[in-house]
Amino acid sequence: MTNNMRNKLLTSLFVIGMIVLYSIPVKSQDLDALLDKETKPQTTYATAIFKSTRIVNGHSVQQMKKKQLEFRVSHRFGELNTGSYNFWGLDQGTIHLGLGYGITDWLEVGIGRSTYEKTADAFAKVSILRQSTGEKNMPVHLSYLASTEIIGLNTNPAMQQNFTSRMSFIQQILIARKFNESLSLQLTPTFIHRNLVPSELDRNDLLACGIGGRYKLSKRISFNVEYYYVYRANASSLPVAYYNPLSIGIDIETGGHVFQIMITNAQAMREGGFIGKTAASWADAGIHLGFNISRVFTFNK
Amino acid sequence: MNKLLLCIALGLFLNTVGAQNRFFTKDAKINFNSSTSLEDIVAESNQATTFIDIDKNEVAFSVLTTSFKFRRALMEEHFNENYIESSKFPKAKFSGKIVTAIDWKSEKLVIVEVKGQLTIHGVTKDVSFKAQITPGKGKVIANAEIMVTPEDFAIAIPSVVRDKIAKEVTIKIDAVYTLYQP
Repeated sequence: MTNNMRNKLLTSLFVIGMIVLYSIPVKSQDLDALLDKETKPQTTYATAIFKSTRIVNGHSVQQMKKKQLEFRVSHRFGELNTGSYNFWGLDQGTIHLGLGYGITDWLEVGIGRSTYEKTADAFAKVSILRQSTGEKNMPVHLSYLASTEIIGLNTNPAMQQNFTSRMSFIQQILIARKFNESLSLQLTPTFIHRNLVPSELDRNDLLACGIGGRYKLSKRISFNVEYYYVYRANASSLPVAYYNPLSIGIDIETGGHVFQIMITNAQAMREGGFIGKTAASWADAGIHLGFNISRVFTFNK
Repeated sequence: MNKLLLCIALGLFLNTVGAQNRFFTKDAKINFNSSTSLEDIVAESNQATTFIDIDKNEVAFSVLTTSFKFRRALMEEHFNENYIESSKFPKAKFSGKIVTAIDWKSEKLVIVEVKGQLTIHGVTKDVSFKAQITPGKGKVIANAEIMVTPEDFAIAIPSVVRDKIAKEVTIKIDAVYTLYQP
């Protein structure tokens, strides 16, 4: 082999090598691969952790977005154990009417009125952390709820003397996680201060913790359970026996409406009542059939 | 030998010039309309990523379904939760070919036929539609309209709301492409 020939051969090899090297990156990237490369990492926020703003009785982390208004009618029949004379509770009814409005996506305010002790209520719900994955990771949704209830009954002289003794204040931290499409759970540490309590033995301050969840049976139907553990140091010495509220319900969503049907041992539908004063027990069949109807209106242009 | 190296260098240079065959944008607009006389249902995303390869006449789109914004928050929630199922199928995609011959140097609006596969809700369908393309210097403007039906993509609509959602949904695309530099 002459020098010349070897030179030519080496050069040709070099050229072929370069062509191969340079054509690889151009050929290997088709448009689909480029699309994946250029799609920026995004934060995905968990939505619809619950179907409604209440799990059953208590608040869920779900809230009205900006310019959304919720009108809510809640109804509880009487206790099942009141027998045939009372048509197993269906003769009686306790009602709560409520409105909730989203001032911003993270702040909802609401008012309500209940036939239970003629109570008026107002609340503010603030969304602090949103559950998310992707660029930002947050394992839970965290909200804060502050609520005030004013008892309107005119049968208690102490309450008629002093307006502030009608008032109770409720504060809750709502910590929820949507584990998957079907399962969401929520923990709800609660502090209630009542300005006036039924007896001297009752404490003005109540500590409680709620645990609740939903399991979706289909896209539009979910099964909900909610239980509040209420800490009462002197429960046995109280003149009235109080019980922890346990509620089991079904959510049915149809467009802008959510229907919630439940059985519960709580008669009241606001925190001061169902956490503080539930006096019926599941063991004695002291359960109420009930329903909530929620309708959402949007005022966005 | 020196001449050869020069040739190679020139070849490589031409190769990089030749690589300027892809146009792209990350903020193409996609909106869809499934309004009926009972309900206005309009949503828009301006976060679609799309490429055009002017050598191969190929086009590809990808959009995160959670990026669609609705006028009503509840509609957006139902769209993601009940219809499109964004957590299971986060992206809608299209990849296809411009089948009409097109002169990319013309700088004139042309109407072309595009054929390809559209993937929504995890279901891939062959579609073809007309698009308006205006090639320009360093950019390409494109608009298109695609008609689809929810049933084609296995999106179940309950009978209670069937009358509120249009049988055929119009998808509109607006994209301004610029030269893609990797």
